[in-house]
Amino acid sequence: MLANYLPVLLFLIVASGLGVVLLVAGKLLSPHRPNEQKLSPYECGFEAFEDNRMKFDVRYYLVAILFIIFDLEIAFLFPWAVALDDIGIFGFLAMMIFLLVLVAGFIYEWMKGALEWE
Amino acid sequence: MGWIMTTWDSLPLILQLGIKIGFIVGPLIVAVAYYTLAERKVIAYMHVRVGPNRVGPRGLLQPIADVLKLMFKEMIIPSKSDKYLFLIAPVLAVTPAFAAWAVIPFSGTLVLADIDAGLLYVLALTSMSVYGVIIAGWASNSKYAFLGALRSAAQIVAYEIAMGFALVGVLMVAGSLNLNTIIQAQSGGLHQWFFLPLFPLFLVYLISGVAETNRAPFDVAEGESEIVAGFHVDYSGMGFAAFFLAEYANMLMISALTVILFLGGWNSPFDFPPFSWLPGVFWFLAKLSVVAFLFLWFRATFPRYRYDQIMRLGWKVFIPVTLIWIAVIGAFKFFTPFGFIFS
Amino acid sequence: MESILFYLFATVLVVSAAMVVTIRNPVKAALFLVLSFFSAACIWMTLEAEFLSIALVLVYVGAVMVLFLFVVMMLDIDVESMREGFARNLPVGALVAGVMVVEFAVVMMSDRFDSQSLPRPAGHGPDYSNTKELGLVLYTDYVFAFEVAGLILLVAIVAAIVLTMRRRPNTRYQSPSEQVKVNKSERLRIVSMPAEKRLDIDN
Repeated sequence: MLANYLPVLLFLIVASGLGVVLLVAGKLLSPHRPNEQKLSPYECGFEAFEDNRMKFDVRYYLVAILFIIFDLEIAFLFPWAVALDDIGIFGFLAMMIFLLVLVAGFIYEWMKGALEWE
Repeated sequence: MGWIMTTWDSLPLILQLGIKIGFIVGPLIVAVAYYTLAERKVIAYMHVRVGPNRVGPRGLLQPIADVLKLMFKEMIIPSKSDKYLFLIAPVLAVTPAFAAWAVIPFSGTLVLADIDAGLLYVLALTSMSVYGVIIAGWASNSKYAFLGALRSAAQIVAYEIAMGFALVGVLMVAGSLNLNTIIQAQSGGLHQWFFLPLFPLFLVYLISGVAETNRAPFDVAEGESEIVAGFHVDYSGMGFAAFFLAEYANMLMISALTVILFLGGWNSPFDFPPFSWLPGVFWFLAKLSVVAFLFLWFRATFPRYRYDQIMRLGWKVFIPVTLIWIAVIGAFKFFTPFGFIFS
Repeated sequence: MESILFYLFATVLVVSAAMVVTIRNPVKAALFLVLSFFSAACIWMTLEAEFLSIALVLVYVGAVMVLFLFVVMMLDIDVESMREGFARNLPVGALVAGVMVVEFAVVMMSDRFDSQSLPRPAGHGPDYSNTKELGLVLYTDYVFAFEVAGLILLVAIVAAIVLTMRRRPNTRYQSPSEQVKVNKSERLRIVSMPAEKRLDIDN
């Protein structure tokens, strides 16, 4: 089984190598004539003002937390779907109860307006 | 011919694999370059224009000119940016976009790594592509880049869930995570392909794919009229080229996966001659081109979604639809005599 | 070959874990944590725990660390002010760390974990499906633990919403379904008025 993963590992190395080669090639071939204006962050011609890394809406954290929960749910669903034909009705009902519990959470989330975006 | 096989067998395994990888990555880069030309041409003709036609016959050398231009452009590293992260971000964007191709079966035998958990591997790599975006946006230290990265991250995250649930439906029907097994489960002609019994999931997957790659009409992360170019606004030269390469490689990746999961992969649409004479690679690439063409068509046709509409579609429409369809598939399988539809 | 890979991944794991706690920039610390998760996934893969390994990347690298990055990027953590308390908190920290090391040592040195009672799992053929094996037991033999996991996730959803939801009363929502459902009688009022009398210009 592990022999199957050797090409995957190699491919990962080649793919990240490709990214590095691109940047190095760009660095070597391109001119390098910096000046202060050129290196300032893009700001539509204004002088930069305020700190750029502002605090933002707490909603983004909420979305990220909900994402983790649903991602876990998917991780549970994958082996279930693969083994479904062998675990039969019992396995199916076990997953339906699991999903029902989480759908209750999803409905709560919906009713509370956590999915609204303004 | 014999001597080729003997020299091939005498090569060390690592070298053999390296050559195979080269045969995937090389054509992929060329395909990406010409996909950009195809995009400009297709959209041009849809707008009743001609599109690029100066470099080479009918503009066919345009991508090469573009690559050369980007190579010789200065790579600007903004003074306020975090230098290391600024340079790592393009690498992190390119790596998952290319590495996912390791498990794609181009035909029944033409696959680099025939791993059992192929689909899971692809999903894991797709989930890693968000890093390039977030880090680029943060490292640039510019408001536009930062806003673009935030928007893009929240959007990718929302649609990844819908995508994952859609994949669960495919798994329930195919009973395996191995991409080649999934394709073999669809053999026997057009009516066996999964897009028929799983039609809602097919639509959800395709649309989520467009949203995952930040393409129009879901391209608020770039939104040139609002935040200029989003997370990669401060990148120039090859740094920009790397993001470009990653975006288009991802689009081709999503097209390939749509073909594999819902449109029968390398199976021919009709199981009789002359269709079955053509090799599997041909059918795979032909279907891939059709789906890839859809991406371009969407961009020329649909106006951009508003951000709250995008989030509503992801969370409130797609997730319930996929959950319900998963329950429907299971219920049909176990409680009705019509279970054969889903197997 | 496998032991070379193990030492390679283990080295990366330990070095990146050390970087997580020593590097000054919190965003970079989070990225090193990503790297250490990834190396841990690679080590699991060498043990043929295929599903767990990829799930570790999917869930921890793809989801949990995204949240971490969101938090450390946006909170603008002031590292200098956090370092001030270093000397003051050192004794307590050292004590906790010492207790943890001792606990680990006691557990790991017991004969439950030596290589005789826990031999390396036997290798499997190329057709072996780790995911399916897991599915066969998780939803039948361990169904109770599985449903409890569902309940824990439900608690997590509710807790996340209770802790982070802030209703802002003056934001205005747009509801497209309401907009579509509108009909003429709600928006338009036709009033019948008497026609104005004609001005007689000749007069």
